[in-house]
Amino acid sequence: MTTSRCSPVAAAGWRVDRGGTGGEGETGGGGAPGGDPVLAVVRVDPAEPVFAGHYPGFPIFPGVCVVECVHRTALAAPPPSPPPAGLVLAAVESTRFLSPVFPHDELTIKLTWSPEGPQWRCAAEVRSARGRVAQVRLRYRTGGDWS
Amino acid sequence: MTHPPGFAEIKRVLPHRYPMLLVDRVVEIEPGIRLTARKAVSGNEPWYRDLADDTPATGYAYPPTLLVESWCQAAGLLAASEPTWDLAGDPTNEPPGGLTGEPPRNPASGLDRQDVPTGRVLLIGAITGIRFTGDVFPGDLVEHRVRLVRSVGDTAIFEGESLVDGRTVVEVERVVVALRPAAELAGATQPPRAELAGTAQPALTG
Repeated sequence: MTTSRCSPVAAAGWRVDRGGTGGEGETGGGGAPGGDPVLAVVRVDPAEPVFAGHYPGFPIFPGVCVVECVHRTALAAPPPSPPPAGLVLAAVESTRFLSPVFPHDELTIKLTWSPEGPQWRCAAEVRSARGRVAQVRLRYRTGGDWS
Repeated sequence: MTHPPGFAEIKRVLPHRYPMLLVDRVVEIEPGIRLTARKAVSGNEPWYRDLADDTPATGYAYPPTLLVESWCQAAGLLAASEPTWDLAGDPTNEPPGGLTGEPPRNPASGLDRQDVPTGRVLLIGAITGIRFTGDVFPGDLVEHRVRLVRSVGDTAIFEGESLVDGRTVVEVERVVVALRPAAELAGATQPPRAELAGTAQPALTG
């Protein structure tokens, strides 16, 4: 199977919902300011490649992969009016890791968008069956150049 | 230090392994103060494996989250050099542990790469203000610069940046890491369980 995205998370089990509709890769704006948040569910597959080395005999989902899941959710459910050039991750404004994630965990990501000048901020809370996993705030710029 | 710590020393200190061992060489270190490390990005890394042949050039940008992971592993190597932190030092390995080439300070509590659950792991507790200012592609040599801002007990705060060919690609305002017993995390595998207040993701990783 081929993909167009270079990512440390293979994430076969992924679902993005907005107001009852869903499906990976769905586009069209979600989590708008004042609107319903984006909800995503990610099943952490034990076959994720990162587990082989993180750590041998003690698989723990890397914290940066939790951030990657939020990032992927943000790209799958962009704010209402992203420009044609799309969204580019500009910053991890803040992240707090609160509990570890293990193979087979199911992560629930609740994400909301808010404008930040010409850029967009997404704030997300990630939970597992054991409670809060992380709080993540990402900022996106629009357009493809680094100018 | 008699020679720059290479991959053998890095593997002795960090419990990460392929494909998540994302630092290749330490080129400069002032123990407990600052460290410069390199990560060579390759198109042979597994993240590129399933990319379609018609993927545009921009699609080969290295995942920013992995740049963060790589930088944090460099921070972990600096932490291991800090006298009050005992991350390095498997007493069964030669040469003796520690990036400075000194004997392990407390071998009994050092990380054993074969038995992570009994050792201690470096955890990312919090990240503040990481800015991405440029893309990184296969063939690039990323230089991570890590500085220890301060450490209190088993918690330390780092700042720094990452560069490619002198061009800054990542700016790191603050990353907080803590040294915790791996067994503390292993206990979290038994749900249902109350949230692990105050614990964090193993991070040297993140």
